[in-house]
Amino acid sequence: MKEKYLVCEGLTKSFVDHRSRRVVTALRDANLSISRGEFVCLVGPSGCGKSTLVHLIAGIDMPDQGKIYINGKEAGSNGEPPGIVFQEYSLFPWMTVMENMRFGLELKGWPVREQYVIARKYLDLVRIQDFDEARPNELSGGMKQKVAIARALSLERELLLMDEPFSNLDEQTRRILDMELLRIWKETGKTVLFVTHNIEEAVILADRILLMTVRPGRVQEEFCVDLPRPRVYFDRDVSDLHREILEELKLCCNDGPGIS
Amino acid sequence: MMFKKECQCEPDNGHDMPYTLPPFYRKAMLQSRRFLGIIMVILLWYLASWWVDYQLGVEFPTPVITVIRLLDLLAGEQIYSHSIYTHVTASLIRWGAGYLLAVIFGIGLGSFLGFSRTAHEIFMPAMYIFQLIPGLAWIPIALLLFGIGNTATIFMIFMTSLVPIVINTSGGIRDVPPIYVHTARNMGASLTEIFFRVMFPASVLSMINGLRIGLAGGWRVLIAAEMIVGVGTGIGYSIEMSRWTLDFRAAFAFIMVILAIGLLIERILFEAIERKIIYNIGVSNNERKIPGM
Repeated sequence: MKEKYLVCEGLTKSFVDHRSRRVVTALRDANLSISRGEFVCLVGPSGCGKSTLVHLIAGIDMPDQGKIYINGKEAGSNGEPPGIVFQEYSLFPWMTVMENMRFGLELKGWPVREQYVIARKYLDLVRIQDFDEARPNELSGGMKQKVAIARALSLERELLLMDEPFSNLDEQTRRILDMELLRIWKETGKTVLFVTHNIEEAVILADRILLMTVRPGRVQEEFCVDLPRPRVYFDRDVSDLHREILEELKLCCNDGPGIS
Repeated sequence: MMFKKECQCEPDNGHDMPYTLPPFYRKAMLQSRRFLGIIMVILLWYLASWWVDYQLGVEFPTPVITVIRLLDLLAGEQIYSHSIYTHVTASLIRWGAGYLLAVIFGIGLGSFLGFSRTAHEIFMPAMYIFQLIPGLAWIPIALLLFGIGNTATIFMIFMTSLVPIVINTSGGIRDVPPIYVHTARNMGASLTEIFFRVMFPASVLSMINGLRIGLAGGWRVLIAAEMIVGVGTGIGYSIEMSRWTLDFRAAFAFIMVILAIGLLIERILFEAIERKIIYNIGVSNNERKIPGM
C-alpha cells in the first residue's frame, strides 16, 4: 500500500440555508483517503456535498467536526493549501494570461525573471502558446480552464483539487480536456482529486472512483478502476464498469428509483 | 452498419447575402437623427420666446441673441464685477474641492463598508437615508455649520457627491464574485493583497458609476447653492444676479456655459475613462454597452 497523501476523517459540515432558515447538513461523517500520485474521482449528484468537501480540503471553509491531514500534517494550521481549479472561470478578467500566471508566483516571492520562466513552463505544459498578452475574455472556455490548470500547477503543490472543472464546457471540448488532463497528470505526477457528476468521465479518468450520496453527504462506495490507459469508452471493460456503477446507483433499468 | 452520410447540401455560392446599408450611410443616418433632435429643441426654444413675447410682451432671449450675449461675455465683458472666466473658474474650484473630498472619503468609506459586513449593516441604512435628502436641503445645515461663503457650498457638494460614491463602491466590492477571492487566497494572498489586487479592480466599474453620479449631482447642487449661499462669484451667483438685474440674456448665456461644461466632462472625460477601464479589466463590449453611444 502506497503512502496516504490526503486523509479526511469524519468531516461534518452544516450551513444555514438563508432562504428557508433551516440548518442543512452538507456533509456528515465523510471519510476519504488518497495516496500520493493517485487520480481519484469523486462522483455524486448535485447537492451531495462534493464541492463542500473540496472547499474544506482547500481550506476555503472550516469543518464543523473532523480532521483533514495532508502529507501527515493537519491541514489549515500552516503550510500551503492544495492547488485548486474551479468549475467557474476563475481567471482574473482584468489581467492578461501572463499576469494571471505571475500573480501567484509573485505572491510566492519568485523574482520577476523566474516568474516568467515558470509561467512559460506551465503554459507550455497545457499547450497554450501565443496567448500571453490575451485577456481571459478573448479565450474559449476550454482555454480558460487550461490556463487555470496551468496557474494552479505553477504553484507546485503536490495535491491538485479539481471541482467539476469541465462541467461548463461542451461535450467535445470536455473529452479533449479529459485526455489533456491525463497527459498532464502523467507528466507531473501530481495527486489529483477530481470532482464530477459525470460517471462516464470518472470511468475514463480515475484510478479510483468514490461515490457520494445525498443526505447524509458522505462517501458511500468505492470502485477501483484497474484498467489500462488510454481507456476508450466502448471497450468492454470500461462499459462494464460504467454499468456496474449505474447498477449500484439503481439507474440502469426502468424499475429504478426514478426521480423522487 | 454505416451511419455517416455525405452531405447533400448545395455549396454556398456567396451570392445570396442580404443587402444591408454600408456603414457610412448608417453612421450618417444616426448623426442626422441626433442633429434633428437638437434642431427640434432649438425650434421649441424659438416658439417659446415668440409666445412669451406675444403673450406677456417680455423679451425671452432667442438662441441667436443668447449666443451673441455669450460671445460678448467671452470677449471679456465684465459682469457683476468679474469676467465670465472668473465666475466659471470660481465655480469649478468649489466643485473640484467638494468633489475631490467626496471621492477620497467616498471610496475610503465605501471600501470599508463593502469589506466589513458588520460596518455595512450599521452604516448602510444611514447612507440610504442620506440618499433621500435632495442636495439643496443641505442649505440650512451648511449655513448653520459654516456660515455664508465658500465652505458652505463645498460642504453641500461634498454631501451630495459622497452618498452615491459610497453606495456604489461598497456595492461593487460586495458583488465581487467569491470565486476570485477564493482563488487569490488559495494562491497565498493576504487580506490586504486581496483587497487591493482583486476586490478593487473587480469592482472598479461600479466605482466609476458612483463617481459619475456623484459628479453630476455635485454640479447641479453647486449651481443651486451659489444662487442661495451668497458667494459673490460663480455661475449660479451670476444667474441669480441676472434675474434681479433683468439681464435674462446673460442668464441664458450662463446656462449654455453650464451645458457645455457638463457635456465636456460627462461625454469626453468620463466616457474616455470608462472605455479605457473596460478595456483594461477585459470586459468585452458585448457584455457591457456604454450607455448612450
